[in-house]
Amino acid sequence: MTLLHTLRKLILGETWTLPLGVAATLLLAGLVVKPLLGDAWRHAGGFVLLAGILVVLVASVANGAGGRR
Amino acid sequence: MTFILIALGAGVAVSVELLEALAIVLAVAASRRWGDALLGAAAGALACAVLAAILGPVVLASVPLGTLRIAIGSLLVLFGLEWLRKGTLRLAGRRARASSVAEFAEAQEELEDAPLPPRGEPDWAGRLVAFKGVLLEGIEIVVIVTALAERPSGPAPALVGAAIATVTVLGAGAWLRKPLARIPETELKWGVGVLLTSFGIFFAGEGLHVDWPGGDAAVLYLVAVLAAVSQAQSHRLARAAPAVAA
Repeated sequence: MTLLHTLRKLILGETWTLPLGVAATLLLAGLVVKPLLGDAWRHAGGFVLLAGILVVLVASVANGAGGRR
Repeated sequence: MTFILIALGAGVAVSVELLEALAIVLAVAASRRWGDALLGAAAGALACAVLAAILGPVVLASVPLGTLRIAIGSLLVLFGLEWLRKGTLRLAGRRARASSVAEFAEAQEELEDAPLPPRGEPDWAGRLVAFKGVLLEGIEIVVIVTALAERPSGPAPALVGAAIATVTVLGAGAWLRKPLARIPETELKWGVGVLLTSFGIFFAGEGLHVDWPGGDAAVLYLVAVLAAVSQAQSHRLARAAPAVAA
C-alpha cells in the first residue's frame, strides 16, 4: 500500500489540485473553446492552453502556501 | 534548438532523479553493506529497464499520434507543474529546500530499526530500501525520458541528454556525498519544472491541432512566461510572510 501510495504521488503529485486542474483545462480547451473559436483556434489555442495552465499553477501554489505555513 | 532544449530537459531531470536515487543507495551502503545496496539498486534498475522497454514500443504501436501527443503533453505538464509548484514554494521560503542529503538521512533512519544480519546472510531490509529508492526515482526517469523521446524528430535528443546525465552523476558517485550538499537542487528542480511544463503545453497544443507561432521556438516563450509567473508569485509570497525553517 505504501508503494502504491508513493506511485500515485509520483504520477499525480501531492495534491489533487494539479491533476484535476490540468484535466479541466485540457477538456475545456478541447471540447468547449476549440469549437467556439473555429479557425482561430489554430493560432490562439496554444495561448488558451498556456493561460489555463498558468491559472492551475498559481492556484496550486497559493493553496500550498496557505496550508504549509 | 529543439534538440538542445529536449536534451537539456531530459539531462537535468535525469540528473536530479539520479542524485536522489544515488543518495539512498549510498545511505544503505554506508550504514549496511555495499553488496546488498548494489544488489537492491541493480534489481531496481533492471525493473525500470524492463518498464522502459515495454512502455515505449507498446505506446507507440497502439496509440494514434494525436492522442499520444495530448497524453504525453498532459503527463509532462503534470510532472512539470508538480516540480514547479514545489520550486515556487521553496524559492519563496514556504517549503524546505530540496536536498538529497535529506534523502540520505531518511534512508538511514528507515533502516535503524532493522538489525543487520550476520555476514553471509542476505540483508533484505537494506536491499529493499535500495531497490525501492532506485525503482521510484527510476520510474520518474522512464516516464519523463519516454515522453520526451516520443517526438516525430526521434528519441535522440532525450536519450543523449539522459545518457550524459547518467554518466556524469554515476561518475561523480564515488566522491558525491560532500558536493551533494552544495548542489542547488531547489533551483535545478524549479528549472526542470519550467522546462517540462513548457514541453507539455507545447506537445498538448500540437495534439489539439494548434499551430504554434514561431514553430518549435514557441518552447522558448513558454519557458519565459512560466518562469516569469512563477518567480513573480514566489517573490510576492516571500514578501507576504516569514519563511519556514529549512
